[in-house]
Amino acid sequence: MLLEARHLRIAYGDATAVWDASLEVGEGEIVSVIGPNGAGKTTLINAIAGLLRWNSGTLHLDGSDLARVAAHRVCAQGVALVPEGRRLFTRMSVEENLEIGCYLPAARAARDATLERVYGLFPILRQRRAQMAGLLSGGQQQMVAIGRALMARPRLMLFDEPSLGLAPSIVDDMFDIVRRVREEGVAVLLVEQNVLKAMEIADRAYVMEQGRIVSSGVPSELLQQSHIREAYLGV
Amino acid sequence: MTGRRKLSGIGAAGGVGLLALLPLAGLPAFYDSFLYIIFYWISLATSWAILSGFAGYFSFGHAAFFGAGMYTTATLSVKFGVPFLVTLPIAAAVAAALAVGIGAVVFRLKQLRGELFALLTLAVSFVVATIILNTGIDGGAGVLTSSVAVPHLMPSPSGTIYLLGLLMCAGTLAITYVIAHSRLGLGLFAIHDDEDVAEVKGIPTFRYKLTAFALSAAIAGAVGGVHAIYVGFLTVSETFGIAVPLYVVLMSVLGGARHWLGPAVGAAIIAASLYAFTSGDQAMIGRGFVAFLLVVAILILPEGIVPSLQRWWARLRTRAATPPAVSEAPGVVAVTGNEKASGKVASLHPQTRAILEIRDVHKSFGGLQALRGVTLDVREGEILGLVGPNGSGKTTLINVITGHFPLTSGSLLLDGTAIGDLPAHGIAGRGIARTYQIPRPFAHLTVLDNVALAAAFGAAELSRAASLVEARRWLDFTGLRAKETMLPADLNLHERKFLELARALSASPRLLLLDEVLSGLNPAEIDRAIGLIREIRAQGTTIVFVEHLMRAVVELSDRIAVLNEGALFALGEPAAVMRDPRVVSIYLGKAYAA
Amino acid sequence: MPSMTLLGQSLVSGVLLGGLYGLVALGLSLSWGLLRLVNLAHFALAFLGAYLVYHLGTVWHLSPWWAALLIAPLFFAFGVLQHAVFLYFRVTELTSLLATFGISVIIESALQWIWTADFRRFETHYASTSLKLGPIYVPVVELAACVAAAALAWATWAWLRWTYVGKALRAAAEDPEIAVAFGINRRGLAFLLSGVCAAYAGVAGAFIALISTLAPSQIWTWLGVVFAVVIIGRLGNPLGALAAGVLIGAAESLAMATFSPAWAPVVSFSVLIVLLLWQPDWS
Repeated sequence: MLLEARHLRIAYGDATAVWDASLEVGEGEIVSVIGPNGAGKTTLINAIAGLLRWNSGTLHLDGSDLARVAAHRVCAQGVALVPEGRRLFTRMSVEENLEIGCYLPAARAARDATLERVYGLFPILRQRRAQMAGLLSGGQQQMVAIGRALMARPRLMLFDEPSLGLAPSIVDDMFDIVRRVREEGVAVLLVEQNVLKAMEIADRAYVMEQGRIVSSGVPSELLQQSHIREAYLGV
Repeated sequence: MTGRRKLSGIGAAGGVGLLALLPLAGLPAFYDSFLYIIFYWISLATSWAILSGFAGYFSFGHAAFFGAGMYTTATLSVKFGVPFLVTLPIAAAVAAALAVGIGAVVFRLKQLRGELFALLTLAVSFVVATIILNTGIDGGAGVLTSSVAVPHLMPSPSGTIYLLGLLMCAGTLAITYVIAHSRLGLGLFAIHDDEDVAEVKGIPTFRYKLTAFALSAAIAGAVGGVHAIYVGFLTVSETFGIAVPLYVVLMSVLGGARHWLGPAVGAAIIAASLYAFTSGDQAMIGRGFVAFLLVVAILILPEGIVPSLQRWWARLRTRAATPPAVSEAPGVVAVTGNEKASGKVASLHPQTRAILEIRDVHKSFGGLQALRGVTLDVREGEILGLVGPNGSGKTTLINVITGHFPLTSGSLLLDGTAIGDLPAHGIAGRGIARTYQIPRPFAHLTVLDNVALAAAFGAAELSRAASLVEARRWLDFTGLRAKETMLPADLNLHERKFLELARALSASPRLLLLDEVLSGLNPAEIDRAIGLIREIRAQGTTIVFVEHLMRAVVELSDRIAVLNEGALFALGEPAAVMRDPRVVSIYLGKAYAA
Repeated sequence: MPSMTLLGQSLVSGVLLGGLYGLVALGLSLSWGLLRLVNLAHFALAFLGAYLVYHLGTVWHLSPWWAALLIAPLFFAFGVLQHAVFLYFRVTELTSLLATFGISVIIESALQWIWTADFRRFETHYASTSLKLGPIYVPVVELAACVAAAALAWATWAWLRWTYVGKALRAAAEDPEIAVAFGINRRGLAFLLSGVCAAYAGVAGAFIALISTLAPSQIWTWLGVVFAVVIIGRLGNPLGALAAGVLIGAAESLAMATFSPAWAPVVSFSVLIVLLLWQPDWS
């Protein structure tokens, strides 16, 4: 297993956002975590990415205990984040944003090659490489965010609500890209509100409600369960 | 309590009286001078704290007002022969006018951060100094005031100056004490902790800041007027040097800038110890030492001496009292009324009128369109659930209704009156209150004061005493009464959420907006919160609540409004709306809806 | 109405002085823009540098260029130390204002104690030489200061623009969390930046020693102007600081020539107020 989380509990002061979460991601897998808003999915992903500390439980990446790793060293372990809402550096150019992705020495050495691959994946970014990132459309910004994470040459990529705020036509393209990322050998952990898309693409999935992982399994089985519907719609 | 206050008041007046008689005792003039300097610094430091300590807008330009007052008195009495005492109120007025001029411009800047205000005020004092230096007011030669006739209130002129200094000091402390215990003071303290929330809770922040600034300047101006005669000879460099701004900041920070007596304590300590350094070179070392104290004080004792002492004293007392009770789970107090906590209200009359009309409201942030023409009626007495996927604009809508953001276009009508153009504190005054998803209590105010403040500035505009009664009523309702003297930081999340609720309710709102009040709570706490919400509606308050916990929304709401991508997507009865295939598809995807 | 020559001379002097303003503003703009800390001690530090250069020059006969080279690393260390202290005591933006205000006065007192409040002038043999362009005199030292300011501003801009560390600084200033997520060591960079800004103060001080008369109280007269320059030039923008400095310097100089020398401080302040009212979003 590439990523192993066991009984994570994550709180902001005394406001517990995640009570108990255990999950696994294997090499080259696409794993989705679905659940309604407020279930704690973003909190979970941010903790895995190193942005948050967790209060109890364990997190291992390829055997190494991430609890001992400082926040700015998590990326070096092979984890890259595509954050919710893109969170690009809006005052920097597209190419500069991508370059931040390969800030770390190992990735920096392969900068030119990886950059070529990213531009190959997203031709429009090559055209707009010198433009200020804040001026791009939502879909293009999402491409930059994904490209930035790819530049870090990760083993595991974390996607936090990639379809958020995007027009439906672009959403399909986004998920195609997620597939292509996996084809490159990168494992994917995907957090999504959009149940259908998340299930279509995943090898395995987890369902999260009110801070807990309540079920897991193969998408086709999970889709049969009625309480997903209830969790999302309340009826 | 009032008995004790009266006693301290009489004691204070007596003390002032005794001090006033000192010059008659025939002691050497040194004592008049020494005490005068202490009174002078107490007045300056305390006046600085009225805006900067209470509201947190640190000003580095106190010298501007002090100097304006000094030169007003000097010019009027020397050049125009105006009687000395008459110049004092004029000096105060001039300084106040200067402050109002600055504040009217500067407080309107929305992006005014603390540092900018501090540096602007510092720059202002240099500009004032330059103007005075270059015009006939001083002209570089200085102004000699030693020949100005001082009224014969005391046997000697120095005795009279001493008396004036004493009166200024007593007056300043009295004024500051009154402010600290008034609505203005409460508002300023709230502004210090969270200006945005203060505005939304009904505090007219611009007006209050300007008032505090003007009062602070007026006192400094009057003090300057008296000091003009004390020094005998004015120079621009001495008057507008860095000493006054530095010392008032240090004295207040050291003694405790938020407490009315703090700056006085700090001033007394510093002024007395500075007297040890009298000659030229030593004065410089003295200043360096003072600055060193400032740095140490800021780093180690950021609250100041007086509040730290208070806290230490309070801790001693509670330890001596009964052992701490086990914290009980807050209970829900049953409200006597027709409505019981279980079950929904019978279906509303079809003619129920709209209390809030939202008409084609648009809101953009730069290029991002958060709301694209939302049109919705909120019916009086209903519980309306506001739901939608992430980014659909729910919180933005709440922020727009409460006046946190101005509308880009469209209109909002409360009881038929347009509120879209009103400042946030005006909207609060009309009876709209809200809670924040992440509780934002005023960190330095007690639980009781947090709630009482909302009552004082809410729709009912209660007096201080009445607001305390009202506050206690809502603390009982939410089960927080036992914790009324605690600070918000000492409460757990569930209690802080209920504090938010109590604070919103004590403003006597007709419309209550709840922003994700259930998030982060465990199931038992959620049940209690739901019960509370039903109680609130039973008392006649209309409720709009944003929530992600869908089961609770469906159970609690009379109607549900679904927002998607900044527009109203669906509206109607809960079960019907949430089963509507289009709604299902935006949550789960199209195939799921089939 | 003053003559064309006088106006021309004023303009040139103003531009050159403006270069010095820009040089002093550079460190302050960087720390305020990228670190979000207002370092009022910057001015005092610059004057400390000036006095040190003066002292090394008059007592030890060390050339100011070597002196500057010597004090830059010392000041760098001071900047790092100051940041460490602020981190330890968890200083916020507002308390940093007060604390650096206090540090400024401490430095001022120390300067006065060591060198007294007398005005001092660093005499060098090239202090009075000027180039002559037509009727206009261009003092060599001031020209050198302007050139140094421009060079340093451009170098800083290039550093921020082209190097990885520079990009990391800009990214961390905008979204520190995400910057950290991609491996940027925000804390280490903050130390680096503090040191660099303090070193810039020292270098600016060397030029202040060469050009101006020194007195401890001068610290406060520079504060208003430079602060205005920083804001007008936009925080964290080295070229902006330079341009704003030149603009303010020229405006002041022309105002002095047209009206009276004593009105100089009012100019920068007025420009600042106008700008703030016009365009409040200055960060």
